[in-house]
Amino acid sequence: MKAILTALVFAAGLAGAASAQIATRVQRTTIAGVDVMIYPTGVKDVVTIKGSLPAGDALAGDGNAAIPSLTGMLLDQGTTKQDKFAIAEKLESVGASINFSVGQQLSEVSAKCLAKDVPLVIGLIAEQLRHPALTAEEFEKAKAQFAGQLQRSLESTDARAGEAFARAVYSPGHPNRVASTEEYLAALPKATLAEVKAFHAKYYGPARFTLVLVGDVDAPAIQKEISAGFTGWTGGVDYPHPAKSTGTDAARDQTVFMADKTSISVTLGQASGLRYSDPDYQALRVGTAILGSGFTGRLMGQVRDVEGLTYGIGSRLANDSLADGDWRITATFAPSKLDQGLVSTRRELNKWFAQGATDKEVANRKTNLIGTFKVGLATTDGMAGSLLTSVQRGFTPAWLDDYPRQINSLTTAQVNGAIKKHLDPEKMVLVKAGTVTGAK
Amino acid sequence: MKLPRSLSAFLACLFLLGPVAALRAADAPAKFDGYTFVKTVGAVSEYTLESNGLTVLLLPEHSAPVITFQVTYRVGSRNEVTGTTGATHLLEHLMFKGSVNYNKEKQNGFDQALDPIGASNNATTYLDRTNYYEIFGTEHLPMIVAMEADRMRGLLLRESDRQPEMTVVRNEFERGENSPFQALIKEIFAAAYVAHPYHHNTIGWRSDIEKVSIEKLREFYDTFYWPDNATVTVVGDFQPTATLALIQKSYGAITRAPKPIPQVYTEEPEQSGPRRVVVKRAGQLGVVGLAHKIPAATHADFPAIALFSAILADGKNSRLYKTITDQSLSTGVQNAPFAMHDPSLHFLFIPLAPGATHDAVEKIALEQIEKIKTGGVTAAEIQAAVAKSLADSAFQRDGTSAIAAAINETIAAGDWTLYYNYDEAMKKVTPAEVQRVAQKYFNVDQSTTGWFIPLVPGAAKK
Repeated sequence: MKAILTALVFAAGLAGAASAQIATRVQRTTIAGVDVMIYPTGVKDVVTIKGSLPAGDALAGDGNAAIPSLTGMLLDQGTTKQDKFAIAEKLESVGASINFSVGQQLSEVSAKCLAKDVPLVIGLIAEQLRHPALTAEEFEKAKAQFAGQLQRSLESTDARAGEAFARAVYSPGHPNRVASTEEYLAALPKATLAEVKAFHAKYYGPARFTLVLVGDVDAPAIQKEISAGFTGWTGGVDYPHPAKSTGTDAARDQTVFMADKTSISVTLGQASGLRYSDPDYQALRVGTAILGSGFTGRLMGQVRDVEGLTYGIGSRLANDSLADGDWRITATFAPSKLDQGLVSTRRELNKWFAQGATDKEVANRKTNLIGTFKVGLATTDGMAGSLLTSVQRGFTPAWLDDYPRQINSLTTAQVNGAIKKHLDPEKMVLVKAGTVTGAK
Repeated sequence: MKLPRSLSAFLACLFLLGPVAALRAADAPAKFDGYTFVKTVGAVSEYTLESNGLTVLLLPEHSAPVITFQVTYRVGSRNEVTGTTGATHLLEHLMFKGSVNYNKEKQNGFDQALDPIGASNNATTYLDRTNYYEIFGTEHLPMIVAMEADRMRGLLLRESDRQPEMTVVRNEFERGENSPFQALIKEIFAAAYVAHPYHHNTIGWRSDIEKVSIEKLREFYDTFYWPDNATVTVVGDFQPTATLALIQKSYGAITRAPKPIPQVYTEEPEQSGPRRVVVKRAGQLGVVGLAHKIPAATHADFPAIALFSAILADGKNSRLYKTITDQSLSTGVQNAPFAMHDPSLHFLFIPLAPGATHDAVEKIALEQIEKIKTGGVTAAEIQAAVAKSLADSAFQRDGTSAIAAAINETIAAGDWTLYYNYDEAMKKVTPAEVQRVAQKYFNVDQSTTGWFIPLVPGAAKK
């Protein structure tokens, strides 16, 4: 009990200190149409940069599924002003890095550099986003790279289970419904450079581009560099506002057979119907953490620690920053332990659903979530990521200051009510990927 | 991906030696009765607890109200023998099953006590060391120190805990076996080392995981878990004098090891010819792994080897990016000079792109190594590789846990001052030295090459 009381004091203290700091220390401005947030921390020399805009795979729509990813892959393959080796030489000579990645809904940039090199890195990010060379030669190389990555993903039980789950719980047309690896592989040979150029022209622009810089920052100098790099950039689109997933008629028990696998990846869950900003979200998140977050989650405590059936099992809400997302349990089991593992998992799920969480569990989990949130903000990477995702979720930076209060205000009744309201174990989808006995 | 309570997977450890370069002046060392001040290098001060030989490293860093507390035991899978492979790692798991004063039954074990306060705690095991760490708000330091000290000699270590945890660890082993990369790395290490215990993977052989007894694990614990075989590292927002007092209060009564800590004396015989392994399993694309024997992390040649590695395979201007990745022969070459306590391996991993062949890619990699041996490298290549390393070092100052993790690897290597001195040494490396180490260490006769050959699902294995 003493530890719990101490924890409450700790969390409250940190929250109080932070509330006076984050929102007031963020310098948020719109520069050349770009939403810019700059946040100074005590770290010396290091600056972390993160940015995003809506140009993910979901925006392929009815077109070629491979185009958004191919476009993102070509961003660091040279610009109309210099080739990729010249860019790499500039970055490598100062130890800086810029990485682009494309997810289901967003195209993201992340960079790290020393403080003195921020002007160089901002300039290159702007140049690569605005003026990629998009040459035929690099396009063919990107297609080959993408094909290799897709084939490699077919070797991963986690990836195969995740893909099958997403296709089972999200209806066609929903932004979280992923194309299958086979669909990507089929689309890839048909992709054209003209499609990439058109996609880039339409989706890469400042309309919803957010850029966050955290660390040893000189805000006026950075703002000047951003203005120089991005002035004149136009285009882009708003975040999508999709209708909720209407569900699918996919089988509720699926097996993705993969030969020679010694561990089976399992995903069990459903579409949650919730976005991160929805009123019930945090209550369901606390409840979900009680079931399956960390070693004190019920799933790890029983299925791993007591029964020894798995190395890892947990539950979480996912894919809900920009659209309604999903709720899932993920676990791994040896083929010989699969049946037993699933029985234990369902038992814990059903018990949690039927009986709900206790007052003590809710109190402990609230302090846990607040504490880990604060610790996560102690690095430039953590702070930059939190600022960026807060905007993607439709909040302002002040949300970060208010988060502890929101969590602390939740009651056990709200937590258990959200579980009952938004989940139904009877309708959940189960996916098993690996060498499942009896399957092929 | 970092998994809970896991041994460090080989691939996750490829880039661990990237010590921090900050040479800012440290505060004056704290004075405290019962401690011997050893030295200060950079911002880290080293002390020895006189009553039992415990090493203490303190690095105050006040940018956030957070502390990382870490205990590194100088025992890893290199201390295991046939029949006990994986014991270090299994014991690491059991270290979370409760000690005399902190355990699940009392509702104050590590998870019960730390989860509610938002503190994270975990452990990793690797070839040369085992480390336990907690990241938490400043005011919880007294509780954390007491808990770590309690399990140093007060571990319950019950058979009833071993049984379910063995199957947990076995599933960890099984998850690793799912990966063609990890399977290939294990085979390459096993072929490259015939005598030295780096021969076996840290997670151990499956049969040893299943059959090692609680008595053997107790023997392991009673041999290696003593203060004179451990280093406590504290990084973050703390006051040195008060922290030394806390550590003394909790650890001071623990005695030194009753017997000298056994030292590994087995040396790997010189390799006098190339070795090859092949792994065939269901899969999609092949992999070429190319390993060469290199010296220990503390060897004077190591910085030049690291620069050779970077010039060969790190970044778009590297030799192998231009000749392999950019030619659509690989989905991305990875390089790794394993920085270990004993002579280790330099790895190149070349996952093949569709249509590429093992033979062709291996030939190109060897040609590029040969080009450096005969033609050397340029000053510009050295400059870029050093810049990347120095910047990486600065990036690793971003957060107490990253700093503690980097120090942990230097402790394991045998000299924590590498944390600072490694970058200084790297700055002095010349092109001629890179060429010299290429000629000295990167020879076919001291190499082990592995191929992962994917089998078409459903086809008979050849």
